Amino acid sequence: MSELEHDSDAQRPSGGKLGTVLVIGAGVSGIQASLDLAASGFKVYLVEKGPAIGGKMSQLDKTFPTNDCSMCILSPKFIECATNPNIEIITDAQVERLDGEAGNFKATLFQQPRYIDPERCTGCGTCAEYCPINILDAYNENLATLKCVHIPFPQAVPAVSTIDSAKCLFLLRKECQICVPTCKNRAINFHQGERRRELTVGSVIVATGYQAFDPQLQSQYGYKRFRNVVTSLEYERLLSASGPNRGQLRRPSDGKPPEKIAWIQCVGSRDIAAGNPYCSSVCCMYAVKQVILSKEHEPHMEATVFHNDVRAYGKGFERYYERAKNTPGVQFIWSKVAVLGEDQETGHVKIRYRLNGKKVRDEAFDLVVLSVGLTSPQDSRELANTLDIRLNSHGFCESPDLSPIETSQPGIYHCGVFHAPMDIPDSVTMASGAASLASQLLTDVRGTLTEEKEYPSERDVSGEPPRVGVFVCDCGTNIVKVVDVGEVVEYIRGLYGVVHAEEDTFSCSIDSVSRMVETIIEKGLNRVVVAACTPRTHEPVFQDALREAGLNPYLLEFANIREQCSLVHMTDKENATDKAKDLVRMAVAKATLLEPLYQVSYGVSRTALVIGGGIAGMVSALSLANQGIKVHLVEKTKELGGLARRIHHTLEGWDVQTFLQGLIQRVYRNLLIQVHTETEIVDFSGYVGNFTTTLSRARKGGTKEIGHGVTIVAAGTEEFKPKDYLYGKDPRVLTLLELEEEIHEASDRLKGCNTLVMIQCVGSRDRDRPYCSRVCCAHAVKNALKLKELNPEMDIYVLYRDIRTYGLREDYYRQAAEQGVVFIHYDEGDKPEVEIAEEEGRPVLRVSVTEPTLGQRLMIDADMLGLGVAAVPTTESRRLSQMLKAPLNEDGFFMEAHMKLRPVDFATDGIFMCGTAHSPKFIDESIAQAQAAASRAMTILAQEEMRAGGPISVVNRRKCTGCGVCEAVCPFGAIEVNADDRVAVVNEALCKGCGVCTASCRSGALDLGGVSDEQTLSLVQAL
Amino acid sequence: MHEKSIREAYGYIKLIGLTCQYVSELNTTTLSKDFPSAPVGRRKGVRAVVSDVEYLAPFKEGIELIKEAGGDAFKLCWQCGLCSASCPWNIVRTFMPHKMICQSRYGLVDLEDEDWWLCSTCHMCVSRCPRGVAITDIIRAARKIMLEYQYERAPASLRSAMGNLSSEGNPWGNERSKRAAWASDLKIPPYSSEAHDVLYFPCCVPSYDLKLGSVSRATALLLQLTGAAFGILGAKESCCGESVRKAGNEELFETLAKSNIEIFNNKGIREIVVSSPHCYTTFKQEYPQLGGQFRVLHVSQYLASRIEEGRLNFTKELKKRIVYHDPCYLGRHNGIYEEPRRILQSVPGVMLMDEMESRENSLCCGGGGGRMWMETKKEERFSDILVEQALAMDAEILATACPYCILNFKDSVVTMEVADRLEVRDISEIVQEVM
Repeated sequence: MSELEHDSDAQRPSGGKLGTVLVIGAGVSGIQASLDLAASGFKVYLVEKGPAIGGKMSQLDKTFPTNDCSMCILSPKFIECATNPNIEIITDAQVERLDGEAGNFKATLFQQPRYIDPERCTGCGTCAEYCPINILDAYNENLATLKCVHIPFPQAVPAVSTIDSAKCLFLLRKECQICVPTCKNRAINFHQGERRRELTVGSVIVATGYQAFDPQLQSQYGYKRFRNVVTSLEYERLLSASGPNRGQLRRPSDGKPPEKIAWIQCVGSRDIAAGNPYCSSVCCMYAVKQVILSKEHEPHMEATVFHNDVRAYGKGFERYYERAKNTPGVQFIWSKVAVLGEDQETGHVKIRYRLNGKKVRDEAFDLVVLSVGLTSPQDSRELANTLDIRLNSHGFCESPDLSPIETSQPGIYHCGVFHAPMDIPDSVTMASGAASLASQLLTDVRGTLTEEKEYPSERDVSGEPPRVGVFVCDCGTNIVKVVDVGEVVEYIRGLYGVVHAEEDTFSCSIDSVSRMVETIIEKGLNRVVVAACTPRTHEPVFQDALREAGLNPYLLEFANIREQCSLVHMTDKENATDKAKDLVRMAVAKATLLEPLYQVSYGVSRTALVIGGGIAGMVSALSLANQGIKVHLVEKTKELGGLARRIHHTLEGWDVQTFLQGLIQRVYRNLLIQVHTETEIVDFSGYVGNFTTTLSRARKGGTKEIGHGVTIVAAGTEEFKPKDYLYGKDPRVLTLLELEEEIHEASDRLKGCNTLVMIQCVGSRDRDRPYCSRVCCAHAVKNALKLKELNPEMDIYVLYRDIRTYGLREDYYRQAAEQGVVFIHYDEGDKPEVEIAEEEGRPVLRVSVTEPTLGQRLMIDADMLGLGVAAVPTTESRRLSQMLKAPLNEDGFFMEAHMKLRPVDFATDGIFMCGTAHSPKFIDESIAQAQAAASRAMTILAQEEMRAGGPISVVNRRKCTGCGVCEAVCPFGAIEVNADDRVAVVNEALCKGCGVCTASCRSGALDLGGVSDEQTLSLVQAL
Repeated sequence: MHEKSIREAYGYIKLIGLTCQYVSELNTTTLSKDFPSAPVGRRKGVRAVVSDVEYLAPFKEGIELIKEAGGDAFKLCWQCGLCSASCPWNIVRTFMPHKMICQSRYGLVDLEDEDWWLCSTCHMCVSRCPRGVAITDIIRAARKIMLEYQYERAPASLRSAMGNLSSEGNPWGNERSKRAAWASDLKIPPYSSEAHDVLYFPCCVPSYDLKLGSVSRATALLLQLTGAAFGILGAKESCCGESVRKAGNEELFETLAKSNIEIFNNKGIREIVVSSPHCYTTFKQEYPQLGGQFRVLHVSQYLASRIEEGRLNFTKELKKRIVYHDPCYLGRHNGIYEEPRRILQSVPGVMLMDEMESRENSLCCGGGGGRMWMETKKEERFSDILVEQALAMDAEILATACPYCILNFKDSVVTMEVADRLEVRDISEIVQEVM
């Protein structure tokens, strides 16, 4: 029985736009888009077809190239979504119907019942203990079992149980119902039925992700026939500490630790026989990651990766790959393989591979991991029909030329792997970009349908004796399996100042937190101690709880009895319990001395500074201007356009020049954008919401000061000018960009050229620049295809180390081969050689290279050469970096706050980056990133005012000697000695409360809010 | 480069009779056997020698030659080596098809390399190639060139078979008139469009080879029992020609095919039932380009349909452990895997055994690609390996659905002296036995 419900929130103004957005798919892309939108003034419905949010990223063990624990960086985002009053998470739901148009859509959701009332369920898991039915655990890739009533995974949001209707005895045969009485809150409801719900929204974002390729479709790999052949996702779960083996690496057949593991790349990708000719973009990198992690688990194991190109194209990827290659016991072998069979006794899997052109070799492995590709989910076509958007032949979403985030329907945007296979940073970037487009569409109705969270006014606790409430967390089992939490709670009850102590299974769960609020109010608590994990994960959650209960949020003290106790003393339960008691006692002692801290609010300048007038700079400028923000667009050269001025068409055939001209026109016509060409930045100061920049104009002369709320760095890259291969010495040797320009001119010498050789990786992936420039392989293919059009008789050779035409670009690589372009691999240690020669009177560039299969030197007489040269940071970037205090990474590109989840933010608030200044990328990727930077900037600009301060440094003016040490050591530039009265002054907006200045002050004039000297000493005394 | 070494290099090249001039003089459409020696030799393509290092150079005319012979699929090859890793020849020796393709793309094919004759066109490589390279087309093209320029270097038994096919329409040179001798006591009428819907085309092997006569007889009997209105052509038909096309003899294939097509069309034939997956493949995939459009059924498809319709009444049991071998040309080439299994499973008493490497991963018996007419060394016979596998599984019958496979298996069983332990049967024989 389904009920049709209308969303009561939204009024339906006739023809007017609605300030709400529907996000379909709650993986990391959907989550990022939702968070950006909610922070920018829109209400979001985050719809997920599964029982919990998180998508594929929640199943990963660690993420490349930083080896961050996936769940640790993702789950705080779960909590942010769950606690954000402007995000409504709707699980078990799919979009059944969509009507309307951009600005005003009506979506009908079809929601499956989970038979649990989310209002009542506390996620305690008791029902699962009694359930008699085991089902396969999908989160663990069916390698483990769960009960039929279960929480999808420990950190699931919503933390609500769900019942598998296909296996539940009651739902099938009206038997059982054992679980129902076990639930203290009576949350199990078998009367729940299917629901239909109508939502009216202004825009839709599709972020439905992918499905892994099923290798049963290619029986030759032996998946499900041989016991020790697993998929990469299965292996990920085997590696994970929360997986079926608790992180002990064991192979399926006999549970022994595998000593020799083989990875087979490109399973279901780049494979016509498998039906997927495109490249899945991430498998090379995730295999490298799994190799590195496996060596950490079992240092003596041997790892062999059988590949056909290693696509380490992104930021930091090449270094990560090198790290793996240089690890003893790791081999990367260029060969696709045949899986011969399984030894029945030992379980070993035998693989046959080729050694160049000489012979084949057979080798046995303990375990084989199939690096499966990313495919469009099975129900993509259905969803596309429902939304009336077009998919391409591979099942991914089609978008207009050079507008990667749009779909074929206005008002419907998309992001993540639904667009094309991509990694997490690209997905997160595109998700922010999608938020930006929706935000632009609905800018007129921003803030009309959002709620501000209402807090009661803060209670004045000054003068009250301490009434401390202590909440000790089991953390599921992470703490309680080592620390006797019950004993700790009893102990705490006897401490001075403690009027309440309790044990929670998960203190951070929604219901625990609301109970905490109630308890604070009921018992009149004026200090709170949470003894649980590290404050880095959930401190904001508890601070929020205090606010809801009317307390200053800084009256909270944390005792870390997880990372600093249970996790590091796992074998010593008695002492761990004693230590936990000590830690809590210390926290309580400090808590009694905590004082309220206050933030200041200040206004935000609704102006942006965009540094760099290339495509990225212009797109982000327009995006912000479309949302009512005034923009200063600063460009150091005479013209706008950047490097794109030299690019005519993309690999896909999109017309760059027309796009560029259109973009430039729109920028100049936009009344909110002020363009400053031939202008440089000479001074930069301030903080988020209030920056001040001094511009110096070469032509007009003089300087100009501008104030702005945010800064976007879009300073671009430059082309490396090599010294190799006769470049600069012989006019027949060009870079790929120069070659592209000459192709466009259709020069006579190209038309008469018999043989052209392109040499890749010139200046990239070497000791000077150990990074990949990402775009050159596709550039070579693009030039080759255009050359074949211009001169079909031309012989074209491309000498490469790996061909990195990732994603859907793979199709063009194949096209080039079909047209007779010859691709020859060379090793880094055996580079091609070029010399000037003459052949029967014809002057040639003689190229010699070792043919890898034939094992002999090949000599090619070329008329022209094209070099795939590196993309390098601009000469300006160092100066800009110092001025903005925006750091550069080891390769000289701007460094983001977090490589995976904050790819466009700098660590300094209010400054963002986009385009090739971040790292080399394609035009459509720059466009997406520029939209993302604008979205992130809007999360600040959309706020009425900024809040800053709280636990920051405080200067005791009487003790300060004005020595300036604090100013010198502050990493944020947040403290300065005032020239007039020679006393240090803290900039509340910039101070992060790191404490470096406090520790350095030799006069004892600095103290840190929340960690004052007195409070810190109390910890020591309590111990 | 030093003048001296260039001269040396040119001298080197001339020494072996290899010059660009020679090749450009070649009229590639002539199949003349007395043309002076074609571009051959291990040292072919050596462009220069500098400080003892040989330098190869792409040989344009060689590339064009291969393209014109139908081998331009080499363009798509990215040298991943999957074909070499998958090829069954690497079980018994070293064979590197990806290297041979690499040579092709530079026009540096070694026409004296006997390895070109090894390929049985089993399509293990083609079915798995991620780029969709038509690898067997490249091999065919090289063979075509080799037959054109070096006919006398082709395997002797193959040349003999081709001569026989040319004269008598069968590879052994048996009298054409005796083609229907297998049917002499069965009273099968010659095909006539008034009386018949279907032609039964038995293939040369069951027609002439005494060991396999039971196959064609069994099939004919089953056709009769199921009430098919069929006839045969006997001496009027020739070998389908599939194997010689794969062996590179395009001209002979066309002769045979056109002859068959003419007869079939004149007789008004619309539908053909075949015993051999090779005949099936060529009738279905290659005859249409030469004007022959026919509906083709392999006997396993025919029988599977009849069993579904309930028109086959089994009166006896066959209580044997049977393992089914997928012929390359039925399985990988045409995707027919289930029908033979359904037939075997429906025969009362049969214990159909599980196989490890079957269907798309089935090992070739060694008979395709014209290899049926070539010598294979004892220790290199794939059919021996398959017989061993069947014995190791404790199977009593090795069943299959291709005359080449049966012939190879029967040979192996005899040479391995295991005739008392393993029988080799065609599907049609098994079914006919229980009728």
